[in-house]
Amino acid sequence: MLRKLMKHEFRATGRVMLPLYLVLLVTALGANVSTRGLLESDNRMLDLLGMLLVMAFSFALMGVCLMSMVVMVQRFYKNLLQDEGYVMMTLPVSVHQHIWSKLIVSAVWFAATVVMVLLACMVMAFDAYAIQDLFRGFGQLFRDISQHLTAYYTINGTAFFAELLAVCFLGCCVVCLEFYAALAIGHGFPNHKMAWSVLWFFLLQFATQFLGGALIVLLDESWLHHLLMGWTDRIQFSGMGAVHLMMGMLIAGELVYGAVFYFLTTWSLKKRLNLE
Amino acid sequence: MAVLECKHLTKQYGHVTALENLNFSIEPGHIVGLLGPNGSGKTTLIKLANGLLTPTSGELLVCGAAPGRETRAAVSYLPERTSIPLWMTTTQLLDFYQDFYADFRRDAAEEMLQHLNIRPKQRVKQMSKGTREKVQLIMVMSRAAKLYLLDEPIGGVDPATRDYILSTIIGNYDPEAAVVISTHLISDVEKVLDEVLFINQGRLVLQSSVDQIREEQGVSVDELFREVFKC
Repeated sequence: MLRKLMKHEFRATGRVMLPLYLVLLVTALGANVSTRGLLESDNRMLDLLGMLLVMAFSFALMGVCLMSMVVMVQRFYKNLLQDEGYVMMTLPVSVHQHIWSKLIVSAVWFAATVVMVLLACMVMAFDAYAIQDLFRGFGQLFRDISQHLTAYYTINGTAFFAELLAVCFLGCCVVCLEFYAALAIGHGFPNHKMAWSVLWFFLLQFATQFLGGALIVLLDESWLHHLLMGWTDRIQFSGMGAVHLMMGMLIAGELVYGAVFYFLTTWSLKKRLNLE
Repeated sequence: MAVLECKHLTKQYGHVTALENLNFSIEPGHIVGLLGPNGSGKTTLIKLANGLLTPTSGELLVCGAAPGRETRAAVSYLPERTSIPLWMTTTQLLDFYQDFYADFRRDAAEEMLQHLNIRPKQRVKQMSKGTREKVQLIMVMSRAAKLYLLDEPIGGVDPATRDYILSTIIGNYDPEAAVVISTHLISDVEKVLDEVLFINQGRLVLQSSVDQIREEQGVSVDELFREVFKC
């Protein structure tokens, strides 16, 4: 059922995101043409057109980033808490499957947005000589890596890359879940549902920052500081070991935040759902 | 086994009691009218049966189980408002129902849509309000469910559409299933009902078969409703 939910989720979001990506690439092409000639033209009209094309690219860039966030929040709100909720929340699927389908699809769109933004920037800066230089540079880099690559760096590099992916995926999920939790709690109230949701978002944000701040304070000359120092004094860390420890701590932190928001979201949808 | 059963069911919204100590059961093979004035608790009861709300106390069972993922596969629910995703085309909507419900009869749905001249590529948001309601009803009635819960299926539509809706319900429900129709437009649905449940201010006032009302009291359901709920 999760696969089916994701299929329809991609259908619903793809009709917004894919045309936006197309617009981004077209404006990137326009901006490229503009920087390669129009802006240096003596003709004032062409100069103005070039400026407008560059501006259009900037707006498209901001729009795509903004929309990937907006679509993520709007889908949860409209699909589960508004009229569509009567259809979705009576499907023979669990609340967990609903949330995971939305989380995975949102994370995929976030990743696709990053790729498309990079691609658009490359299109905008495209220059035959620059691309040749770029490929030459990459070729040299790979040659250097293959010459100096040892099992130690291969294993640690792969592990670091996997950890980085996990941190990014979990980060996307935590951001989504904070919005989902606030919306789900807010929509359990009989009236002023959106106002309650906004209030809960700020409350969760405040709690998150307060706890984060408290942890940083605790790390400075406190029992926790001494405890951690005691542990680390006894263990000899290599450079890569310390990196893995830091990444592990980041993943653990994200898991804790995510688990709290996930619990709040599922509990609200199961016990306090009150569709209008 | 009863397809829908309430045992001392109570639902409160804060200090407001929407349903109070409801006790009744509905057997398969019946078309039941859930009748009561506005605000009597009909929609709350249907939402509870769909698991969209949780009871404050008491128990509600659908096919012997508390509402949840399993019972949803056996219940076909028509909400009070149009809830099918507006961005979908008719084909996408058919795909959607087929994907999630094993008992969805796509052929029957396609035939009914064709009868209404609805194009497969037409988006729901391009349809009129009446057509959207018909499409939603077609999706709901194209399932071979054990229990159909229809919340105000004929509210806010013209008389011709009411006739279409009622004939679609009668022509498509599984005779082994139970159909619960919630409404306050008694005269329109009376002809299709086997049994009625009168609800007022969250309490069950009457459960009786339509024939029994006519034979024993010598009045129609509409006349009895007007008498019971006289202001």
